[in-house]
Amino acid sequence: MKRLSVVQLLNSKTFLLSSVLQIGDSREINARSNVLAVQRQYELFYGSEGEVTFPVFTKPIPTLDVPVSVQTYRLHESPVISVRSIYLIAASTASVVHIGSTSTVKGETRIKHIRQLAESTSPQASTRMTKDG
Amino acid sequence: MNYTVVNREVQIGDIYLTAVTSSSIFLIGDADVIQLASAFDTPPESLIVGPFVPLTPKGS
Repeated sequence: MKRLSVVQLLNSKTFLLSSVLQIGDSREINARSNVLAVQRQYELFYGSEGEVTFPVFTKPIPTLDVPVSVQTYRLHESPVISVRSIYLIAASTASVVHIGSTSTVKGETRIKHIRQLAESTSPQASTRMTKDG
Repeated sequence: MNYTVVNREVQIGDIYLTAVTSSSIFLIGDADVIQLASAFDTPPESLIVGPFVPLTPKGS
């Protein structure tokens, strides 16, 4: 048996990149996102970039299994979770703001960050490629 | 093994949050199982100083 969630005021500005505001109960949440963030010192984009898969997007992430040997009993003395107000600026990248109860939540985010800067005037500066492509 | 949780009265005032990101969850309520993971790859090698070479294109 799940408790009732009562929120008197929710003030949020932005939900972006597959994030969800869920008001009410849910059963199963599966949130996934892959991000390839390339920052260059100058505005430059070659159209065919980023089509190659980086290891960070494919490597399996081990999960912690829920031990079935632990018998959990929850006693809700008060059937209500009460919140006066929530002020939230932003939710992003497959995140979930959830008012209400749920059962199973699974989430996975993989981020690859690459920065490219213009060559400095120093003769020492050499080109360095990403180790994993 | 038995594990008992007693949830007494919960009354929260004001919550101020800047951001919830990267498959994370802000939950007001109950849940049975939560499994969240994230991989963030920003090694020193990912900083490229030099000519703006394209990232490896498809098929090479």
